[in-house]
Amino acid sequence: MSSDFNVKRPGLELLSSQGLRLDGRRPNELRRIQCKLGVFTQPDGSAYIEQGNTKVLAAVYGPHQAAKSKSLQDSVVINCQYSMATFSTGERKKRPRGGRKSEAISMQLTQAITTAIKKELYPRSQIDVYLEVLQADGGAYSASVNAATLALIDAGIPMKAYLCSCTASIAWKDGKPEPLVDVSHVEESAGGSVLTVSSLPSINSVAWVDMSQRLHADYLSVVMKRAMQGCRDIEVILDKAVREHLGESWTMSDDAVAI
Amino acid sequence: MTSHVKIRLASERVNHSVPTNRELPRFYTPGEVVTGMEDFMRGHGTYASDDCLKASVAGVMQKVNKLICVRPLKNRYVGEIGDVVVGRVLEVQQRRWKVETNSRLDSVLQLSSVNLPGGELRRRSAEDEQMMRKHLQEGDLISAEVQSVFSDGSLSLHTRSLKYGKLSQGILMKVFPSLIKRRKNHFHNLPCGISVIIGNNGYIWISPPEQNNLVEEEKDEIVNVEVQCISRSDRETMARVRNCIAALVASKMLLDDTSIMFAYEESLKYDNVKELLDPEAMLDVAFLTQHRINNVLEE
Amino acid sequence: MWTTKTFLTKTKRGNIIKIVREHYLRDDLLCGSAACNTCPHKDDEFVLDGKPESICSLYSYPHYLILDTNVVLHQIDVLEEDALSNVIILQTVLEEVKHQNTAIYQRLLEIIANKKRKFYSFVNEHHKDTYIERNPGEKQNDRNDRAIRKAAAWYETHLSINSVVGQFPKIVLLTDDENNRKIAQEEGIVCCSIKDYVENVTGFIGLLDKLSKNVAPEACSKDALYPAHLTPAQIHEGIRGGKLHQGTFRASRDNFLEGTAVINGFEKPILLQGHSGINRAVDGDSIAVEIFPEEEWRRPMDIVLEDKADDDPGDQLEEEAVLLKNTKPVEKGDDEITPTGRVVGIIRRKWRQYCGILMKSKFPGATRHLFVPAEKRIPRVRIETRQSDVLASQRILVALDSWPRNSRYPLGHFVRALGKIGDKNAENEVILLEHDVPHARFSEAVLACLPPNDWTIPEEEIKKRVDLRSECICSVDPPGCTDIDDALHAKALPGNTEDGLKRYEVGVHIADVTHFVRPNTALDKEAANRSTTVYLVGRRIDMVPDLLSSNLCSLRGGEERLAFSCVWEVDENANILHTKFHKSVIKSAAAMTYEEAQIAIDDKSRNDAIVSSLRILNALAKKLNRKRLDNGALSLSSPEIRFQIDSETHDPVEVQAKKILDTNSMVEEFMLLANISVAQRLAAEFPQCALLRRHPAPPPANFHTFLKAAKQQGFDLDVSTNKAFSKSLDAAVIPGRPFFNTLLRIMATRCMQQAQYFSSGSKTVEEYYHYGLACPIYTHFTSPIRRYADVIVHRLLAASIGCDVTHATLLDTKVANSVCDNLNYRHRQAQYAGRASVTMNTHILFNKRVEVELASVLAVKRNAVHVLIPKYGLEGPLYLPSDKFTYNEEEHIQTCGDIVLKTFDELTVRLSLDSSNLQHRKLVFELVKPHIPGFSVDIMEVEDSKAETEKDQKKRKEETPAKSSKKSKKK
Repeated sequence: MSSDFNVKRPGLELLSSQGLRLDGRRPNELRRIQCKLGVFTQPDGSAYIEQGNTKVLAAVYGPHQAAKSKSLQDSVVINCQYSMATFSTGERKKRPRGGRKSEAISMQLTQAITTAIKKELYPRSQIDVYLEVLQADGGAYSASVNAATLALIDAGIPMKAYLCSCTASIAWKDGKPEPLVDVSHVEESAGGSVLTVSSLPSINSVAWVDMSQRLHADYLSVVMKRAMQGCRDIEVILDKAVREHLGESWTMSDDAVAI
Repeated sequence: MTSHVKIRLASERVNHSVPTNRELPRFYTPGEVVTGMEDFMRGHGTYASDDCLKASVAGVMQKVNKLICVRPLKNRYVGEIGDVVVGRVLEVQQRRWKVETNSRLDSVLQLSSVNLPGGELRRRSAEDEQMMRKHLQEGDLISAEVQSVFSDGSLSLHTRSLKYGKLSQGILMKVFPSLIKRRKNHFHNLPCGISVIIGNNGYIWISPPEQNNLVEEEKDEIVNVEVQCISRSDRETMARVRNCIAALVASKMLLDDTSIMFAYEESLKYDNVKELLDPEAMLDVAFLTQHRINNVLEE
Repeated sequence: MWTTKTFLTKTKRGNIIKIVREHYLRDDLLCGSAACNTCPHKDDEFVLDGKPESICSLYSYPHYLILDTNVVLHQIDVLEEDALSNVIILQTVLEEVKHQNTAIYQRLLEIIANKKRKFYSFVNEHHKDTYIERNPGEKQNDRNDRAIRKAAAWYETHLSINSVVGQFPKIVLLTDDENNRKIAQEEGIVCCSIKDYVENVTGFIGLLDKLSKNVAPEACSKDALYPAHLTPAQIHEGIRGGKLHQGTFRASRDNFLEGTAVINGFEKPILLQGHSGINRAVDGDSIAVEIFPEEEWRRPMDIVLEDKADDDPGDQLEEEAVLLKNTKPVEKGDDEITPTGRVVGIIRRKWRQYCGILMKSKFPGATRHLFVPAEKRIPRVRIETRQSDVLASQRILVALDSWPRNSRYPLGHFVRALGKIGDKNAENEVILLEHDVPHARFSEAVLACLPPNDWTIPEEEIKKRVDLRSECICSVDPPGCTDIDDALHAKALPGNTEDGLKRYEVGVHIADVTHFVRPNTALDKEAANRSTTVYLVGRRIDMVPDLLSSNLCSLRGGEERLAFSCVWEVDENANILHTKFHKSVIKSAAAMTYEEAQIAIDDKSRNDAIVSSLRILNALAKKLNRKRLDNGALSLSSPEIRFQIDSETHDPVEVQAKKILDTNSMVEEFMLLANISVAQRLAAEFPQCALLRRHPAPPPANFHTFLKAAKQQGFDLDVSTNKAFSKSLDAAVIPGRPFFNTLLRIMATRCMQQAQYFSSGSKTVEEYYHYGLACPIYTHFTSPIRRYADVIVHRLLAASIGCDVTHATLLDTKVANSVCDNLNYRHRQAQYAGRASVTMNTHILFNKRVEVELASVLAVKRNAVHVLIPKYGLEGPLYLPSDKFTYNEEEHIQTCGDIVLKTFDELTVRLSLDSSNLQHRKLVFELVKPHIPGFSVDIMEVEDSKAETEKDQKKRKEETPAKSSKKSKKK
């Protein structure tokens, strides 16, 4: 019997000796992000985003008159509903909505989005944001935030800046901590703590931070930094998508400017 | 009747954009600095922060004297006085109706802003209040004009003209308000015999040719226009108009009587109205329409 | 920067889940070759030489090697030799190796990390040009082989880009897979088997010896001696269907044809007998077992059976029927009938490297030899070497390779020689290797963490600490101790307590090792891995380098040292009034031995500060001890012996039991007190990750035999609680036989469970209990120089009192658990190693003499009595022939005529050493008294043999010149 004394630190195996992650990314690389605005005609705004294999649809309705019970005199009411398609995970889910986890994520999304919207502009109104995760491969919450941002922009709802969200976790290489950005499902389930940051990178403010489990304070700053960098990288990608969308759709309607 | 449902792969979808030769304007996106603060007034779609004017929506900048706005590609309808709107009655309240007009707050139609039978200047009595639901009830569609805008942005409507009022038979289409071209007249009787109300709020009403005009006027009571029988050909024409509008919308083209007419004429090469639901056909129609508009503009 | 192609990898597991994973292909991966003209290498990123020199006569041109997985898995010893270099390890290979054998994977990583070896790991799986997708219907193995060939082909063309023809290195693929080789040749890739390659390597003698023997496929039944093993798929099927069972094979120590497998769901281990029953399982292997129907169950053989073959008997098996005949159950309901089965497949080999000696072939010049492992549970191994003449007299290390069906013995290969048989260093090496004790010299990285030799305490450090240099602190340790990790002080405080009792201040000062061993440094990791200092007779394997253990952290007399202090205020009844912990600077007034301290206390004429401090401590310790015993702490005993070592030869010249003085227990009491105080503090501060030590109560079944034996002597012991047990042990005294009580306690110790380290998060508070010490919570705080547990405890305590920061791994429950596992493992191995060392030295000692001594019977077995010699603390079996003695199973006694041998009896025995088997020398105990004619030895004989051995001894001395003065002793 021999014992290799290798303290199995969570996330020890996440980085190969060559410094690549399980899927071939480097620690600071995002997954491939593809997104599209205006995917539906019915809602006021809609968007679709793919972050690696995580795929999310977002639809925004509003602002419209708020229900009397919720209506606020000085600000808009955000109503978020997050749901995961039954086929979105490896094992088929029983029902798409409800469940404590979805409820909690809905709440968190509401909070994050509320901070980004110029909510004082629409008293007594309400904005509904519906998010549907078509495939979950880690970072579904982050992808949802990013999709919601695109859908809100598509709906022409005023925001302070892009609201971007990114996850980060920690792995070890040669005994040194190395933060990983945009964590995939495999890396998520490898056991490390996952930090989710939703932020408004261009005005340097953080909208929401969540941590899946305890992470030692020593590492928080590096992981946070990595997540923030991820947010900035995502902002660039989202901005590019928005401009592309504007360019495609503007062609006809700029006549109106002339009036 | 069996219907054919076609679902296409994302990769096979038709790109509806119609090429134009116009240059793209400069776009601003949320959080982007539009200009420094000095000497400018903050308009829609902008906000001030850190001594800068920043965009809060994605779109193009418009400058009217010192007022700077950023106009998004699309947003909810923002009403202006005199706009023609099509809306749906949501609620009957004390001396007013709540009307949904695709704006961010529900609009109001005061009892005092409608034409009641028996002359314009008649005093509104308590009896009238009780009769409100007889006049317009929940779910009814109306056309109206924006009378005034309240401070919170909600609209007050009026129907004090014969052309406004309740809509009975026809098709309602909802499109993005930004696609409606502002014209003097939004009521059109198209050459094909169909009337169209292009609401500024993005609601478009397509109705059959009016056979017995101004019936209501002569009637004492405001009752539903009797449901008439509409010929198949009229219905097909209405459907064609609707599909043409849908084609223009898919290609993000501005809507007015001209573009709709052009599109209608171009669509005639498709015999079957149903064929117009094909994305290729829609693009074709939109493309040809754009071509004709360009020709008109050049002339 | 990265290509955005997404590949989907689908795998199935359990109830069929489709897993889709991304797979990014990159274009920024380097080839690592200095001959490359295209990759954007930085200067330090070249691993492979531009013009590698060929050492193989088959390929005279410069070339790189690409290895197939099977080559790495089977030939890691060849790779570890400093011969092959400029090798490309593909990620495909790396992952397959990791999957199949983590130990080899670790070794491979070490080779890659060694810059001098020029092994480059190439990430072919993520390179856009070398990634391949699995074809439909293609086996994973075939796909991997294809990937390897693809990478080989890619390298070949990649290096040729922009190179002059013939000026760039070629690629040679080494694979032992014939099929792979064939396809590669068709594809134009140069390839050969490792055997052919190594056989043609020039300039590295001995490389060939390391070549692992080729494995014949299991399916091949030519000349098969053993039944075939099932395939993994069949095993999986069988286990799922309940027909087969998974277990761990444990070979019998005494009988090479017998073993057992512990299987879940069976109370008794499954008995496996005979060559076909064991079917090539080796001790420790994870195996699949088929259990026979009940009528074929047998009972274990209670005979000792050794593989007698002196020379390789060739590939044939003994007639097993003869060997097994006596195991058929005689009658139904025989108690010892055990579920019996046979091994049908190996799930996982747990082979390690084994120490042993070479049994040279009788044919001169032969290259195939047998290897006899030191561990009796391991079968002999066939190895091939050309250096047999040299190795025959050496202890050697051998690795197992395979055990084909047609081979009587497993095949292995020589790894390295440890030294001459009988040489103390070689023997120690064997002990350390067999007990997995890390004992290499400290690496440069570790030594770099040390402070300079002339380090003194900086002023600012003193300012941060409580200055206790003026206190009269002294240490009391065994003689010759250089790693002094604890010191004590005590003084009377002015004023009385509320009850009118006197107040004292007592301090325990522990070397502040964590000041030097900072977390996550190489030094810390090394210490964590070693976990404990291992004490062999005459040799100490330090946990931390000598500079710390014997100097900077050793609280030597008269020198200023950093310490971690635990200071109590106690009343004269030793009740704690107040406890505080702080880091401090101390200056020990005296470093004493137990004996010196005892003499000082007893010397009425002395009245200086040290002595009065010692007297206070002594008095308080006695009260503490009383209290502890009243609480139910067990005062147990185990015979400890001490060797007196010849200063020149380092051979033991005398052995004696250790003496216990008052001062021993004085120091012990305060250490216990400090440990308990610290444990309480830690458990309160860190409910999830405090490192504690628990001692579970022994299960009642453990006491069974012991209670029976005590009853024969007329004592009814109460073992219901530790308190009752302690009390009844105290009462069990036979006047006139003072040793009886000690003996009782020695035997009670054997019934106990092992104490173990654990992290507070992993157990409930009730489970924290320490049975032996009768305290609800306990930890180790007082010996950070020699125990890593104490280092962790120091760090936790420092964090809790705010004088040091915590760090992530300290507070992680998972990490804490794995640290505990390692601590427990190393601790146990260190104990075993220590015992093995004592045994070895005993053998050396008795090599020269024969003694007649008094002995006590510890236990009565079927064919022997277990005896203990109090004088030496030695014990061993005294074999009783079954033709003279009859064994009474019920009463556990042996009778011969009117002589009855039972536990606790006192005998006289003769001690001598049996060296007939060089690897397993053992002490022989022979009965002298009571006299049994024809069995007992006469004293006269004893005298004779004594004279003989003395002669022997002289001769021996002439033969072996003392050559062990190289290692100057530190003690």
